[in-house]
Amino acid sequence: MVHILGVNLRESHVARYALTSFYGIGHHTAHRLCARLQIHDKCKMKDLSPYQVTALASFLSSPSTSVTPPRYPLASSDFIPPSPNKSTQDLQSEFAALKAAQDQRKQKRARHSRASQQAASDPLKDLKIESELRRMIRENIGHQRMIGSYVGKRHAMHLPVRGQNTQSNAKTAKKLNQLDRY
Amino acid sequence: SKPCSVVRTVTVSAAQMLDKARSKPSLDTRVVLTGRSGCGKSFLLLQLVQNCILNGWIVVYIPRAKKLVDSSTPYEYDLRTQTYLQPAFSLQTLQRLLAANQAKLTMLATQKKHSFEKREVPFGTNLVDLIGIAVKEPPLAPVILETLMTELSTQTKHPVLFAVDDFQALYCRTAYRDPHFVPIRPFHLSLPRMIMEYASGKKSFAKGAFVGAITTSDTQYKLPSELKDALDLPHEHFKTPYDKRSRTLMGYTTGLKALHVPEQLSLVEAASLYEVWKDDKALISSLHDEAFLSKYTESSGNARDFVWKGLLATFDS
Repeated sequence: MVHILGVNLRESHVARYALTSFYGIGHHTAHRLCARLQIHDKCKMKDLSPYQVTALASFLSSPSTSVTPPRYPLASSDFIPPSPNKSTQDLQSEFAALKAAQDQRKQKRARHSRASQQAASDPLKDLKIESELRRMIRENIGHQRMIGSYVGKRHAMHLPVRGQNTQSNAKTAKKLNQLDRY
Repeated sequence: SKPCSVVRTVTVSAAQMLDKARSKPSLDTRVVLTGRSGCGKSFLLLQLVQNCILNGWIVVYIPRAKKLVDSSTPYEYDLRTQTYLQPAFSLQTLQRLLAANQAKLTMLATQKKHSFEKREVPFGTNLVDLIGIAVKEPPLAPVILETLMTELSTQTKHPVLFAVDDFQALYCRTAYRDPHFVPIRPFHLSLPRMIMEYASGKKSFAKGAFVGAITTSDTQYKLPSELKDALDLPHEHFKTPYDKRSRTLMGYTTGLKALHVPEQLSLVEAASLYEVWKDDKALISSLHDEAFLSKYTESSGNARDFVWKGLLATFDS
């Protein structure tokens, strides 16, 4: 049993589907998360390395403060790799220098061009799970009520919000639509 | 009885082709077995692998290249090679290489000193010991495999056969994704890249050959158009100038030749297959030639249909 953020994930489960047991993570987000941490599709929870488990836990504890990984270069068809005895530090310092040069060029282009360039957004940074998500939903419903909107009134009356029939079939709404939902 | 296969005319001709390729670099003999679904491409590849092992070749055989691209093995980015390594599959390949070629590998040693980041392999290390390093330290498996392949490509004592089944899967879209969720191309994965380099002649064994076999019955990894062009196979739809082709993939298909496996088993071949089943006392109800001819006609000589739908269907009664 792998414990991540208080949720117990069974070891025999495939990691990509075990992650959907978190409130706020569906199949697409789980796929993106696994790609972010280089977990292959058929990896079971027991096959995750300790580094991957801690990376997962630290990401899920606060997705907004997570670091987006840099875009590493990919070999062209005529690329000849350096010899295996080249140290990791040398390779990383070379990559850091390359990245610094790229960032400088980008900033120069941004200064000269009039249109403001938006950085490519990382969808995983906007991820909200568990208590944060429930709080956001509660706040949204509270906001609708506060401004006196139709949506707020329907939540308060435990009735369907999105124009469904009430003459029959409003059972789910009567059970779940509340101001203090979650 | 033991598993066996029928030696066909195409087996003999392919074996003769490999005998001629024995003393030539693998650049001259890069063949892909093609043919209809069920005509015996994978079996022919298996027969060639077996024949080469018995004739003193070193054989690197990958029975399911689909496993390399369907995101079923761990992967991790490596800054040195700028590709994604597959350590678990590399280790498995090394272990299989060792199991199949141990006697031949003990006679070979490294021709130069190799130094990895935290380890050094001196000149003259036995190749079996080189594989042993990877078994003891699994994270080093991809580098050791790369080193081993370089050593095998320079040695001339034994010819090397690189046999890959499910060859077309290497040229399709992989199921892997990078940390930014962009699909990873097959030539950015270490093992598929290595296979494609030997297939296209960018790397070559001093003595040996490359043989691939395609699988036509896999719907997820269908034969891509770049391979169809290279092997001169018929396209499903009319070719237009707007059909997309990847230039990089086309670069990895240069020099491949198609070896067409006959669609039908000849009557003699089918009869000998039938005799194997008969002698094994597996056929009770159909011991006469009328039954044999009816099964042969129903399957139209197709090897897979003859066995699966023909012979096996006699068990239902």
